[in-house]
Amino acid sequence: MTQQPQHTKTKRYGMVIDLDKCTGCGACMVACYAENNVPFRQDESDKMRSLNWIRVMKVDNGKPFPDTQVCYIPMPCMQCDGQHMQGHSPCVSVCPAVATDYDQTTGIVSQIYTRCFGCRYCMAACPYHARKFNWWDPKWPADMEKYLNPDVSARMRGVVEKCSFCYHRYQKARDKAYVEGREELHEDEYQTACAQACPTNAITFGDLHNPEHSVYSRSRSKTAFRLLERLNTNPKVYYLSSKSWVRRKADNYLEGENFEQIREKARKAAATH
Amino acid sequence: MKIDRRCFLSLVIGGAVGTTLTPVPWKLTDDIAIWSQNWPWTPVPEDGPSKFVKSVCNQCPGGCGITVRTIGDRAIKIEGQPDHPVNKGSLCPRAISATQHFYGPSRIQGPMKRAGERGQGKWEKISWDEAIKTVTEKLAELRTRGKPHTVACISDTDRNGSSYLLDRFLKAYGSPNFIRTPSSADAQELALYLSCGRQGTIGYDFRKADFILSFGCALMDGCDAAGQVMSAFGEQDKKTRLVQIEARLSDTAAKAAQWVPAKPGSETVLALGLGHVIVRDGLYNKAFIEDHGFAFEDWQDDAGNTHPGYRSLVQAHSPDKVAKATGLSEKVIESLARSFARARRPVAVSGLGSAAPVSLDQSLAVFALNALAGNFQKPGGVFLIDEPDYLSWTEMKIDKTASAGNQQPRVDGAGSERFAHTRYLPNQLPEAINSAKGDSPVQALLVAGGNPLYTLADTQAVEKAFEKIPFIVSFSTFMDETAEQADLLLPHPHFLESYQDVPTPRGMAHTVISLARPVVKPQYDTRPTADVVIQIAKNLGGFIENAFPWKNYEDFLQKSLSDQWKTLEKQGYWSDSKSRDTSLDEIFRTASQRFEFFPMSKLAAMNGNGNKKAGVEKIELPGDIAKMPLVLVPYISMRISDGAVANTPFMTKTLDANVVLENDVFVEINPKTASEYGLSQGDKATVKTQAGQAEVRVNLFEGIMPGLVAMPAGLGRTGFSDYIAGKGANVYGLVAPAVDPASGLNAAWGAKAAIAKA
Amino acid sequence: MTTPAIPEGVKRCPTRQFTLWLAVVGAVLLWGVYAMFLIWYKGLNQTGMNDAYGFALWIWADLAVIALGGGAFFSGFLTYIIGKKELKSIINYAVIIGFICYSSALLILALDIGQPLRGWFIFWHANVHSMLTEVAFCLSCYFAVLTIEFIPLVLENPKLDRIPFLHHLSHNLHEVMAVFAATGVFLSFFHQGSLGGVAGVLYGRPFAFREGLLIWPWTFFLFTWSAAAVGPCFTMLVTWLTEKITQKKLVRPEAFQLLAKISGWMLLTYMIAKIADTWYWAAVTAPSKGFSLMDFYSSNPVYGIWILIAELVICGIVPALILITRKGRENKPLLVTAAILAVLGVCINRWVMVLQVMAAPLLPFQDWYMYMPTWQEVATTILPVAYGAILISLAHRYLPVFPHEKELNPGQ
Ligand SMILES: Nc1nc2c(c(=O)[nH]1)N[C@H]1C(S)=C(S)[C@@H](COP(=O)(O)OP(=O)(O)OC[C@H]3O[C@@H](n4cnc5c(=O)[nH]c(N)nc54)[C@H](O)[C@@H]3O)O[C@H]1N2
Ligand SMILES: Nc1nc2c(c(=O)[nH]1)N[C@H]1C(S)=C(S)[C@@H](COP(=O)(O)OP(=O)(O)OC[C@H]3O[C@@H](n4cnc5c(=O)[nH]c(N)nc54)[C@H](O)[C@@H]3O)O[C@H]1N2
Ligand code: SF4
Ligand code: SF4
Ligand code: SF4
Ligand code: SF4
Ligand code: SF4
Ligand SMILES: [Mo]
Repeated sequence: MTQQPQHTKTKRYGMVIDLDKCTGCGACMVACYAENNVPFRQDESDKMRSLNWIRVMKVDNGKPFPDTQVCYIPMPCMQCDGQHMQGHSPCVSVCPAVATDYDQTTGIVSQIYTRCFGCRYCMAACPYHARKFNWWDPKWPADMEKYLNPDVSARMRGVVEKCSFCYHRYQKARDKAYVEGREELHEDEYQTACAQACPTNAITFGDLHNPEHSVYSRSRSKTAFRLLERLNTNPKVYYLSSKSWVRRKADNYLEGENFEQIREKARKAAATH
Repeated sequence: MKIDRRCFLSLVIGGAVGTTLTPVPWKLTDDIAIWSQNWPWTPVPEDGPSKFVKSVCNQCPGGCGITVRTIGDRAIKIEGQPDHPVNKGSLCPRAISATQHFYGPSRIQGPMKRAGERGQGKWEKISWDEAIKTVTEKLAELRTRGKPHTVACISDTDRNGSSYLLDRFLKAYGSPNFIRTPSSADAQELALYLSCGRQGTIGYDFRKADFILSFGCALMDGCDAAGQVMSAFGEQDKKTRLVQIEARLSDTAAKAAQWVPAKPGSETVLALGLGHVIVRDGLYNKAFIEDHGFAFEDWQDDAGNTHPGYRSLVQAHSPDKVAKATGLSEKVIESLARSFARARRPVAVSGLGSAAPVSLDQSLAVFALNALAGNFQKPGGVFLIDEPDYLSWTEMKIDKTASAGNQQPRVDGAGSERFAHTRYLPNQLPEAINSAKGDSPVQALLVAGGNPLYTLADTQAVEKAFEKIPFIVSFSTFMDETAEQADLLLPHPHFLESYQDVPTPRGMAHTVISLARPVVKPQYDTRPTADVVIQIAKNLGGFIENAFPWKNYEDFLQKSLSDQWKTLEKQGYWSDSKSRDTSLDEIFRTASQRFEFFPMSKLAAMNGNGNKKAGVEKIELPGDIAKMPLVLVPYISMRISDGAVANTPFMTKTLDANVVLENDVFVEINPKTASEYGLSQGDKATVKTQAGQAEVRVNLFEGIMPGLVAMPAGLGRTGFSDYIAGKGANVYGLVAPAVDPASGLNAAWGAKAAIAKA
Repeated sequence: MTTPAIPEGVKRCPTRQFTLWLAVVGAVLLWGVYAMFLIWYKGLNQTGMNDAYGFALWIWADLAVIALGGGAFFSGFLTYIIGKKELKSIINYAVIIGFICYSSALLILALDIGQPLRGWFIFWHANVHSMLTEVAFCLSCYFAVLTIEFIPLVLENPKLDRIPFLHHLSHNLHEVMAVFAATGVFLSFFHQGSLGGVAGVLYGRPFAFREGLLIWPWTFFLFTWSAAAVGPCFTMLVTWLTEKITQKKLVRPEAFQLLAKISGWMLLTYMIAKIADTWYWAAVTAPSKGFSLMDFYSSNPVYGIWILIAELVICGIVPALILITRKGRENKPLLVTAAILAVLGVCINRWVMVLQVMAAPLLPFQDWYMYMPTWQEVATTILPVAYGAILISLAHRYLPVFPHEKELNPGQ
């Protein structure tokens, strides 16, 4: 059987983050702030009020010295496909004003800042705490407004924001392809700022449907997993780890449950989906 | 007309209904909503075509290539330059967020002179002419009085064009006191000089090595080879085995295939112990040692005295003894030695990024492991890189005053008989000034790069010394801790708005020169330090003026770099991979023309200072162990800037709430140790050392050896801006220098400390 | 001649005393208004909320106040649709209490949204999938109905009643009140339910998530049921309190007894359903997501298993049993205790469905999130209480709220 060229119109953009490679350096966070005009404040130590579209969590295996191990888990918006993979992401289905939406052509969960009226229902719905509220008016001291990226609008106080998979970069790449009469984007034409910045290439990004993109095979690897898979949120952010304890930390399991088995079953079910 | 109640009510109700039916309230509601979407205080960045300008990051000696996205005259974002040989697109957070410093409130916007008391923060704007005139007059006066040698210059580097010009200026003027701030590279470079006879840097072929044995190097925690190392780690696909020797589970240790938590301070012993096993089992590269090694076996000097060679030296370091000293098991030591020796392309690395400086003997002991493997000038091995030679020097003549000044001993004692091979001893400077009777031996201090009031160990002593210096000029780009205490500010432009050559970074296995260039127009009224120096030289006239035949720094660079300039202008870097090809027969420039396991030059130096002991295995920390039973060790973090330039607000933003909480810094401590002191997670506590004390909070961490207290370097700033200052404490204020008897360098790997609940 | 403002034939306290009382409550109100101003001016950073607690005290207050305001629709349902004439004695008051509850809820919502000026987007850009959209529509419509139900009562003020237009308006409104009551009941069933749905549909939050019927999670029905059960208890409680304060009999005992009995049975059936729901959730839903029951009730300083026992047993089964037994109902202290417990129970339920949902960790490497409201939040949550007290005082003073007051207090 010859392989059908995958000229699927609908993409499912996704990310695969290799936790064996992630050093917790924070470059992804900083790159995201810089790319997406994320504001900052004098005291950012209240992490539950700090605008971060991607947070790098530090997790340990709970063992005493010297058997301790730590692992960093970068968490952008998981861009959930939602139950039944139809775009009913936890946050999208609840937003009363359609200020957040699921783009069927890319699978990206968007956020319209000027539409959002700040009810924060979506934050309550998101199990990953990926959504961030603008508790304050943004402020750029001295001449810092000069570095703002015109591709991304600055947000006002009182609205929710979150990782957009750098959608503006998709738009640019798509427009360029359109002008050149192409329908398909090359893998390197559309990369997110965090994936581009990651100094150890822990983050790869691309179309999970496209076998030519590296995320295609990486997301299907044996050590791939997602966070809180059992909630059926269907994230498009995958992780790789060679360490069993890390994979175990990604979801909740009852005592006595064999998590690798459960995950394997879920993987098979997803494959036949 | 009389309006009765009924009429009134009808009017009100009718009016309300009527208005509701008109478009007015709806339009108003809509307008209000639209206004809330365009609040005038929410900026709308101006759009335009993007350009991508190649340059280089200049925030640490790492030399990573950057690409700056600009729109109009705005620098928007800094990204890695994918084809740059150093970092291949990888950057650390400091570079990515550099625009924040560039446009931020910490910038010094023009020349200023002090208006109030020192440190009061009162400044008066002056013109560049006046500023330069003030410095010229001061220098001219000291020279007239025959005291040119009382002028000192502190610089953060001695390897780029502007630092060469500064050094040249001092020589022409008559002072030997060009001082470079301390670096974790100091001991490495001295070891390189002694064992291989070369002034330069050590390159490690991280990309091709299959075994990296790191003695506490902060390879992925922010050593200055971070860009290189992380990009190599990213491309290696797990073929390289990284072993991290360190008492704390740092991010490097977390990424390592094996974490070896040896007691801090025992690295020298461990390196010798590994050598013991390798020699005992005959696992060393016999061909290399035969052809290129010296003093592997016992040897005789010209006078006929016999000295122990490496084999005898490691004899005493049997695994059982090393196990005791390091706290590791014999098994671990044996297997570590064997896997290192059996690897095909192993490198042993020390001092690449150590918040704690490394002793000369540790550097030598670790370097010797590379010689045992014989992996010099080979893919995946160690390469020796010379000091940059791209600056073609025109000879200069100096006058008598200058020559007399240059003959004076250096204030910091470097190059003296006692520390003959050490080039700079910045940590001795405070002591030299503080202990001098009468006038300060430094009458004028030029701080051109570096931030000694923050970065030199034992901050209190440094402050005291600075108070005694009558005239301090800071060339700093930012209102840093040193600038705050200066008399005159002559701000140097930021690297995004000026030319700066960046020499081969440490760790690079071949020569790479990069060029930082003006990416956008200068933001403020700044001048390159080198331009100012050239101007001062011209003002001073005579031989000094003649030594500076350049219009300005750019002119100087163009002329010095000649052919390379074009390449640099075009691609941002100049790379010479031929520098890898030097054969083994040519690389060693010691007296023996070989790799010296026991450097003859070191022996000579030791004899010079009367230190007959062969090696300094462990640097003892000052202080009373009964009162201070713990050891405070600094650590660096990729997300904090420990150097002269503070972290950006973005970097601070990335810190977890158990690293910095509000204004408190956390120290890491093992839960076992914490419970001994009745400390629980988040508790406020006081850490005390001989040098000082600090209020901290406690973060319980299983990944740190019991008995240690680890504190991040880079916090406790007073300068810069409200976004940066006032957070935590400066760990270097707590760590007093411990002098390495072999080099004179600071080798304080920590400080004896006590902790108590606050 | 001036018409007295106070309804005919009833006695009210001296103006002086009344003014003093208004001043005291008014001070509390002003405190709340100041906090409200701060919140609108400076934004939600004035609260103790954060990104983990997108919903907090206010949403709880909203849910609680609406559940308690449920007395209006349920009494209306019983009075106008089932035809329980006994309740005429209390229905006006039930409507006023409902009006207060719902207007408070809307005010708190206006505070709670980050962009109050865009609040109307919920109608304009409505997302039909969102429970909150359903809530917003039903809530506003029902508030309109309550207002219409309230107006005739206002118009019965002797002074207003003298104006012929208003007199006729009031009369006509009375005629059609059953239609509005029925509409109100219908709307209430939905928005009480959709409020339950707000938490129940959160499939990313195993603590809140419930399976259900068609598009509605079980909480949808549980919320309606519990509001119907406890709303009348709250009406009774406020009435009892009013009687205590005014030292008068205001409502016929039959009305009390009937409400208590119906409430009791509603509460009992609700508790059966709620326990079944909890059991199914603990035995099937949560474990399918990897959680055991105790995961939600341990390792944190506040949410222990006690809260479940308090909600289901002490503030659920116990008051239900008191209310369904004649002896319990007829013993006033017991009746009041039962009403208090029932009210507490529904408040706990709403608290748990909002705040414990936010507090419980989801990822194994996360910790419980704790939250402390600021004084601004507390003040604005107390604000409706003060506002309610004032409105009740004014209504009681100037409107013929209790049709049987004269008859119950002869000789005044
Ligand atoms: N992000 C970031 N990057 C930087 C800098 C920065 O400030 N921030 N600064 C730049 C500069 S100027 C330099 S010189 C380099 C410095 O970078 P390094 O010198 O590489 O960094 P250190 O903080 O010294 O890291 C040393 C490690 O040694 C461990 N350690 C502490 N004591 C001992 C000991 O006794 N023995 C052993 N084996 N290990 C010990 C610490 O836990 C720490 O992880 O980094 C450069 N890069
Ligand atoms: N607190 C603390 N103290 C330490 C250390 C530590 O980790 N923490 N580490 C020690 C180590 S390893 C080191 S290397 C030293 C580092 O100490 P420093 O040498 O003082 O620090 P750097 O960050 O290398 O210096 C950067 C300086 O260069 C200036 N600068 C930036 N760009 C340019 C330019 O283009 N031209 C010129 N002329 N100047 C420029 C900046 O304004 C800044 O003042 O500190 C040592 N002491
Ligand atoms: S940039 Fe890469 S290595 Fe650094 S924290 Fe992010 S994912 Fe990890
Ligand atoms: S991670 Fe959260 S915000 Fe992102 S799509 Fe999923 S539910 Fe929505
Ligand atoms: S906060 Fe904004 S995006 Fe979130 S649910 Fe409400 S309106 Fe929608
Ligand atoms: S994909 Fe873009 S928006 Fe999302 S975290 Fe990465 S850089 Fe930020
Ligand atoms: S490692 Fe140094 S040179 Fe490289 S990006 Fe970071 S600060 Fe710049
Ligand atoms: Mo350094």
